[in-house]
Amino acid sequence: MNSSTGSGGTLDAGVPQGSQPARSMAANLLSIRNLSKHYGDFRAVDNVSLDVRRGELMTFLGPSGSGKTTTLNMVAGFDTPTAGEILIDNQDISRVIPSRRNIGMVFQRYTLFPHMTVAENVGFPLMVRRVAKPQIAERVTRVLKLIRLESFGDRRPSQLSGGQQQRVALARALIYEPRLLLMDEPLGALDKRLREEIQLEIRRIHHQLDVTIIYVTHDQEEALRLSDRIAVFDNGRIAQIGAARELYDQPANAFVGAFLGNSNFLTGKIATANGGRYQVTLKDGSSIEAPARLALAPEQPVSVMFRPEKAILQSVSETSGFTNRVVGRITENVFLGDSATYEVRTASGELVTVKQPFGPSETKTRTMDEEIAVSWPHDCVHIFPIDR
Amino acid sequence: MLLTLQRMGPGRYVLYAITAIAVFYLLLPIVFIPILSFNASRWLEFPPPGWTLRWYEQLFTEEQWIGSIWNSVKVAFLVTASAIVLALPAAFVLVRGKFLGKTALNAFFASPMIVPVVIIAVALYGFALQWGMAGTLFAFVISHLILALPFAIISIGSSLQTFDIAYEKSAMICGASRVQALLHVTLPSIRPGIIAGALFAFLISWDEVVLAIFMATPSLQTLPVKIWVTLRTDLSPVIAAASSLLIGMSVLLLGISALIKRTRK
Amino acid sequence: MVAATEARDTATTELARQGRTLLPALPALVFLFLAFVLPVWVLFLRSFTEPATGLGNYQSLVTDSVYLDVLVNTFFVATAVTISTLLLAFPIAWFLVIVPSRVARMVFAVILLSMWTNLLVRTYAWLVLLQDTGAINQFLMYLGLTSAPVPLVNNMVGVIIGMTYIMLPFIVLPIHATMSTLDPALMQAASIAGAKARTIFFRILLPLTLPGISAGCIMVFVMSLGYYITPALLGGVRDMMIAQLVAELIQKFLNWGLGSAAAFILLFITLAIYFAYVRLVGLVRPT
Ligand SMILES: Nc1ncnc2c1ncn2[C@@H]1O[C@H](COP(=O)(O)OP(=O)(O)OP(=O)(O)O)[C@@H](O)[C@H]1O
Ligand SMILES: [Mg+2]
Repeated sequence: MNSSTGSGGTLDAGVPQGSQPARSMAANLLSIRNLSKHYGDFRAVDNVSLDVRRGELMTFLGPSGSGKTTTLNMVAGFDTPTAGEILIDNQDISRVIPSRRNIGMVFQRYTLFPHMTVAENVGFPLMVRRVAKPQIAERVTRVLKLIRLESFGDRRPSQLSGGQQQRVALARALIYEPRLLLMDEPLGALDKRLREEIQLEIRRIHHQLDVTIIYVTHDQEEALRLSDRIAVFDNGRIAQIGAARELYDQPANAFVGAFLGNSNFLTGKIATANGGRYQVTLKDGSSIEAPARLALAPEQPVSVMFRPEKAILQSVSETSGFTNRVVGRITENVFLGDSATYEVRTASGELVTVKQPFGPSETKTRTMDEEIAVSWPHDCVHIFPIDR
Repeated sequence: MLLTLQRMGPGRYVLYAITAIAVFYLLLPIVFIPILSFNASRWLEFPPPGWTLRWYEQLFTEEQWIGSIWNSVKVAFLVTASAIVLALPAAFVLVRGKFLGKTALNAFFASPMIVPVVIIAVALYGFALQWGMAGTLFAFVISHLILALPFAIISIGSSLQTFDIAYEKSAMICGASRVQALLHVTLPSIRPGIIAGALFAFLISWDEVVLAIFMATPSLQTLPVKIWVTLRTDLSPVIAAASSLLIGMSVLLLGISALIKRTRK
Repeated sequence: MVAATEARDTATTELARQGRTLLPALPALVFLFLAFVLPVWVLFLRSFTEPATGLGNYQSLVTDSVYLDVLVNTFFVATAVTISTLLLAFPIAWFLVIVPSRVARMVFAVILLSMWTNLLVRTYAWLVLLQDTGAINQFLMYLGLTSAPVPLVNNMVGVIIGMTYIMLPFIVLPIHATMSTLDPALMQAASIAGAKARTIFFRILLPLTLPGISAGCIMVFVMSLGYYITPALLGGVRDMMIAQLVAELIQKFLNWGLGSAAAFILLFITLAIYFAYVRLVGLVRPT
């Protein structure tokens, strides 16, 4: 029995949720090792390994069908892995049924029981654990206060808005103080405003209760706003794990670079390597420099990536500016208030986007079809090998 | 334009007329019989020469009539209970199960609805004679259950089909065992389907004629059998009184099911 | 070798899993098998063994003109009932689709009420209504439409009136179900394109409603073939249908061989029509 609720743990701030016997307080609450799920020949999850630290909020970010839900379902126990293992507190839980895993889960569709009131819904996990009635009532009140729905206990789920329903679902998952809380696109069905409001709520509760959370989303903004760390999923594999800043500044591969934020990609090949820098010849003939983070041989075709906000626009005649430079014509010009976004077509026909913030000195706007130079510093460049 | 009232033109009056006639046709016997049951004339003269409660008195006092009503009630309740007990787990298998030949099993459970009742009746009649079951309550229940079971399975199955299994999953992740999830979440959610199945089963048993005729003996008859037997000799107005009772029961059960539907909304 | 054993192992465990999945359905399955399949199977066997082993029973059923008449009668009644119900049901379904839902609900209530009223009661009502001295004849004579009572019962007319009454709901419901899924905009589009009402009816409404019509017709036809109570009470001696024949042969004459053979001819026809329909159109959803 993995129940941590019998002793009537508290929901007060600052009390670590692991009020369990001091078993093994490893830094990692959850460890996933070489986890795979195959449907016939199709690999929905393909050799995934990751660790979730105690008290951390980790998001699984990835496009639709990349295996996030499948991974989560295996952690919850709704799916059996084809291979690999899942450890919680260093214990293999693959043979433990979902109800004994002491995991909380909030689903994308609201799954409040329609025939129960809000209070009955929230008290359900305690009811099935045979907690005494007065105690249930007390804890329900406390957790409803936490999600700021104290006065809604007697309503039916159908009498609540979508956002309120999802907060109740969260309360139901929190009341038994699970060691791990899984959330599968819990805000997917809500509009943007409401989503942001509840995101803040989730952050607050996460800090207040110190609960470990895995949060699935395909909305990168949501991931950036909420997470301590992000695991980016791509086709059933993990493309990269790290803090948001790390993923943005040091994408491990072109997929992460492209998926998180906006980026420019130009193709070229390695010319020479010296002093920790590569010389790369681009398709249009120009030569640029890039930091040599990977060991690549000359002639290796590469994809050159840099962020639109790292580049500046200059007249072709200007020679000041950064090491790297391509020339082209402006094909698109969008005014965004605090900034302008330009699209430049290079001689090779590739498109480069430049985002120009209107700082105190920058006031110029460029005109369409103007011949222009795009320049950016070499240390903002990432190069990824392209398979030949 | 042919499916919107305003644009149908005069043709719509033809539809009104035919429907009015059909509604009259459908209502005529249902309204006529209860009126007739108060007819004072022994020979069912129409229009009635006077009114009386005599036929109801006879219905509720004559040993054979009241006994048959009582038998009908007993059989119907037993059939309802057994239909639900058998249908509930079967519906779970048919909706949730993953196995070879699922469509075949579905068809098998529906097959009593396709086979003409008279064939089931004579087949069971043969069995009843051979095993000495003719004229027992058991034979009535078994035979009616064959017809009631498919209806119970279908109505429970269809409400189970619309029940989102995610509810059960969230109950289990909350710590509920399979049994707890079933008792506290699934069964309350499919209760309308179970009640509908029970009503169907009750009504089917209560109304069953053909099977009952073959299962009955003079000493044990259900109400429809008693009507049938009496009918073969004369058209006594007591039959009208008994028929009114059956009509009343149908109205009652349909009313209940309509009420349930309304509260569900 | 190893792979083969493994494959067999997983196949066996898969079978075991499927067996476990089926377990809850077992009581219902066993019940239907013992109470339904087995008796019908035994009856089937008796049609070949009584009074003598062989196909004798079937032979006499298809050669003796008395029995052939019964078959012809059966098909005639089923056809007539199907046609008369269709003629009534199509306008009713159409009416139900176009009128405000409040009106439609009331008509539906009447249809359901009649459908769920005891079969015997409805038949008894017609028996009384259609008598020479019954309300309908009284009314006709009162109007002066006829001087002597019209024989409406104990003949084919009575059977068809009574069975049309009973079968009507079974055809209205599927036609209505199909018609209510049609998009009124479709008709409008056709009429804007210049089609006349007649053309729209025959080219669009009717063809699109055909699935419901065919489902309803098949259901009525097949059910009518096997009907017992109504023809037995409303029909005359010479209007016997096959279900009556089965019942009489077995209950009255204790001729189990011939009776069960007749039962299986009925079952065979029923299943043949049903399967042909499923093959052609798809499954009929029982309503
Ligand atoms: N039962 C199943 N049988 C076959 N394929 C499945 C099954 N369940 C999931 N898949 C496939 O596995 C892949 C991963 O699905 P999953 O639901 O994990 O994606 P996801 O990352 O959660 O996507 P989304 O953001 O759309 O929810 C999908 O391509 C899906 O089609
Ligand atoms: Mg998903």
